[in-house]
Amino acid sequence: MQHRYRYILFLFFLLFVCGCSQRHVKPETSDVNSKAQVEGNAISDVDPSQTDFENNTIANQDDENSLLDSDADLESFDQEFDEFEDEFGDDVSAEVSDPLGGYNRFMTGFNDKLYFWVLKPVATGYSWLVPEFARRGINNFFKNLYYPVRLVNNVLQLKFKNAGEETLRFVANSTIGLLGLWDPAKVWFGLEAHPEDFGQTFGVWGIGPGPHIVLPVLGPSNLRDAIGLAPQWIYLNPVNNFLNASEYAGLDVSDDIQKIETRAGVYALEKVNYTSLHIGEYENLKKDAVDFYPFLRDLYEQRRQKAIEE
Amino acid sequence: MKILMSSLIIALLLLQPAFADETASVKKNAEQRINVVIDHIRDKDLDKKARNEKIIATIAPMFDFDLMAKLSMGKENWSRMNPAQQKEFNELFVSRLQESYLEKLDLYSDEEVVVDQATVIKNRIHVASHLVSKDNEIEMIYKFYKNKREGWKVYDVEIMAVSIVQTYRSQFADILSKQSIEDLLKRLRETGGFTVPAGTY
Repeated sequence: MQHRYRYILFLFFLLFVCGCSQRHVKPETSDVNSKAQVEGNAISDVDPSQTDFENNTIANQDDENSLLDSDADLESFDQEFDEFEDEFGDDVSAEVSDPLGGYNRFMTGFNDKLYFWVLKPVATGYSWLVPEFARRGINNFFKNLYYPVRLVNNVLQLKFKNAGEETLRFVANSTIGLLGLWDPAKVWFGLEAHPEDFGQTFGVWGIGPGPHIVLPVLGPSNLRDAIGLAPQWIYLNPVNNFLNASEYAGLDVSDDIQKIETRAGVYALEKVNYTSLHIGEYENLKKDAVDFYPFLRDLYEQRRQKAIEE
Repeated sequence: MKILMSSLIIALLLLQPAFADETASVKKNAEQRINVVIDHIRDKDLDKKARNEKIIATIAPMFDFDLMAKLSMGKENWSRMNPAQQKEFNELFVSRLQESYLEKLDLYSDEEVVVDQATVIKNRIHVASHLVSKDNEIEMIYKFYKNKREGWKVYDVEIMAVSIVQTYRSQFADILSKQSIEDLLKRLRETGGFTVPAGTY
C-alpha cells in the first residue's frame, strides 16, 4: 500500500511542475524573444503594455511590405491586423510550448505506421466480420464502463447536475440498455453523456497543460492529461470494471483477471472496435495538414482547451 | 440610484438593436448560401467540376480569403515575405482552403445542416451551425468581422472547437522556426494538390 502513496505524492509533484510551466502566452515576436520569456516565467500573463509596444514595432516594420496600395488603407489594415493578432495571439494553444518536439515527431510517425500497418488492416477485417450494429453496441458497452471516470470528474468539477445525469444514464443503460450495449438513456430520455476526465478536472482547477507529449498508441496528450490517465488506470479502469462485473455475474474469469493478456486483449478489442467505426477520419485529417505533427498537436490542445472551458 | 439603474438599462437597450439587426441579416445570408451549396451537392445531374465551381462561386463572397491567408501566416511572418512571396502564398493558401472545403463536401451524404444561432462577440458575429448525421453532430462556427468596404465577411471557421486559422498558424510558425519562407512555399506547392508526401509528419 505504501508505494501507492508515494506514487500519488509523485503525481502531485509532477502536477506542480506542470502548473509552474504552464501557459506562456507568447507575444508575436521573434523566436529569440519569446524563448527568453518562456524560460523566464512561471504562470504568466504577459504584461499588456509590453505586448502593445511589441505589436507597434512590428506594425512599423511592415508598412512598406503590404499588398495594399493607399496609405489610408494601410493604416486601417494594420490596425485590423493588430486586432486579429490579439485574438489569435492570445490563444493559449497558439504556440504551445514544445520542449519534446523531436520525440513527439518521432512518436507521431510511429503511431502513424501503427495505424496504417496494424490497426487499420485489423479493424477493416474486423468490420467485415462484425456487423455495424454490433460494433456500435460494443462501443456503447465500453463507453458505459467509463461511467466511474465521468462521475468522479463531474463531481470533482462540482458539476453535480451532470453527475446525476450520468448516474441516471448508467442505471438506465446498464439495465434496459442491456449492459450498456444500447443507449436508451439518450434515445428515450434525451440524457446526453457528459464526458469529463482527470486531465479536464486538473484544467478546471487551473493547472496548465504543460508540454505536449505524444504517447505511444494513445496519441497526442500533454503532461497534465497524461498524468490524469494514471488515476484513471489505477482506480477507475474500465477493464477492471468489466472484469469485476463479469466476476460478479458469475463468469469464471477470476484467474484470468490478473493476467496481462486478458487486459491487453480487452483493450485491443476496445481500440479495434472503435477504430472500425472511424476508418477514414484519420486519413482525412492527414490530408488537411501541411505539417502533420504541429497540426495534430494544435488540434488536440485547442479541443482540450475548449473542453475545459465548457 | 433607481434613476441611474434605469438609465443604464435604457442605454443598454438602445445600444443592442443596432447590431442585432445586422446579426440577423448576417445569419440569414449565411443560411441562404449554405442551403444553395447543399442544393448543388444534391443535384446529381451536375458533373463534379461544374458543381465545384458553382459551390465556390456561392460560398466565396462570404469569405475574406485574403485576410484568412494573412492571419494564418501571422503578422510577423507575413511582413517577412516580399510582395511576390505574399502573392504566391495567398494563391496557394486560398486554393488549398477551397480544395479542402470541397473535399469535405464529398464526405457529405445526407446529413442535415442546421444554422442555429448568431452571437455577437465584441465586434464579431459568430454564426453557429450543426451538421447532424446518424450518430454525431459536428459543430461549425463561422466567424464574421466587419470589413470597412465590403461589410461582414468570414475570417475564420471553427470546426468542433478547432479554429482553422489557428491550426495553420501553428503549422506555419513551426515550419518557419526551422525553415525559410521559400521552403514553406515549396511545401505548399507540393501539397497543394492534396497528396501528402510520404515521410512527412
